[in-house]
Amino acid sequence: MKEENFSETDSLKLINEMISKVKRSYVTKGIASMVWGVLIITCSLLTWAEVRYNWDPGFDVWLLVFLALIPQIFFSIKEKRSRKFTAHDETTTTYVWSAFAISIFILSFYNSKFGSEQATTLFMMLYGIPTFITGGMFKFKPMIVGGLICWALSVVSVFTPVDADMLLMAGSGLFAWLIPGIILWNRYQKQRRENV
Amino acid sequence: MENEHFSPEESLKVIDSMLQKTRNEIKGNDIYFLMWGWLTFVCCTSQFLLKRVFDYPKHYLVWWLTLVGVAMSVIITIKQGKQKRVQTYIDESMGFLWTGMGISFFVLSMILSKVGWDKPVFPFFIMLYGLGTFISGCLLRFRPFITGGIIAWIIAIGSIYLDYDYQILCGGVAIFVSYIIPAYMLRAKANSQE
Repeated sequence: MKEENFSETDSLKLINEMISKVKRSYVTKGIASMVWGVLIITCSLLTWAEVRYNWDPGFDVWLLVFLALIPQIFFSIKEKRSRKFTAHDETTTTYVWSAFAISIFILSFYNSKFGSEQATTLFMMLYGIPTFITGGMFKFKPMIVGGLICWALSVVSVFTPVDADMLLMAGSGLFAWLIPGIILWNRYQKQRRENV
Repeated sequence: MENEHFSPEESLKVIDSMLQKTRNEIKGNDIYFLMWGWLTFVCCTSQFLLKRVFDYPKHYLVWWLTLVGVAMSVIITIKQGKQKRVQTYIDESMGFLWTGMGISFFVLSMILSKVGWDKPVFPFFIMLYGLGTFISGCLLRFRPFITGGIIAWIIAIGSIYLDYDYQILCGGVAIFVSYIIPAYMLRAKANSQE
């Protein structure tokens, strides 16, 4: 390696190349994004039906969210085994979403103690944070926009009744995760076809 | 650039050196942590004193001080932007992180102005302090911020069981542990590396 010829600009160029390389592998994670999106939308709509039509499913529909953990863990382990290295920003993304999971736990704990009427508002505000940061880190606009939409819907939900809040929550899941997930998935498929 | 002779180990070395460089650049950025840390610490302790000791009904007005922080942050950012030659990946990520945190605090303030500031919201604020410092620590690979973030989360959970007044005080403790102490440690480390 000819270090003497390696300027700061070259280093940055290389780092950018590394980032785009990771970006390509990250597209596989469109699946996780879609799974979360579908689950949040489903749970929100079921809760909306519960509130609106006094419908009782017989269990807490939000427990379905735990179902998302199964494919998430499965794909994470599978991908970890097939990868030779983990890039810095991938590790950071893992930390971002771990921090988000811890925050969701604390917020759920907080709500169980205070029974906050603003629970949905606070959850949507929280959804915006990791989505916006991940979008920014990977320069992936749909997620940046998704994060901003979560915050906007969070503010709107302060002024709406509980049943409408659930529809807004479904909107958060759609814009923050499902749509970006579909875009990532399509890009991944396109890339695979090009590589064949 | 002779990419063909560049092994993954060497690439990682370059990235590590860039991280080191960014960490040193953070020495200039630690001013944000210190400024916001001390400002929030002063707000928390003042609100506690105004409410608990002086029994002042509009104790929450002390939080208007944060507008000074916003103005100062804007001035510092513009000033630093003019001096900086390159924007590293970590700079950008930190930018997105703290823009996101800023928007979240703003949204939370809007929510509170509607539902009332007397609600027991401090555990939620403390949780957000933890979130910001934990992710910053991960981005910079600086353990004191990560530890500070985790301690802030523990304080957030503990404060749920306390009265509103003591929740305010917990906010002060959390900010001291998760912002102020790690920021001074970062500054000391950067100084020792020079």
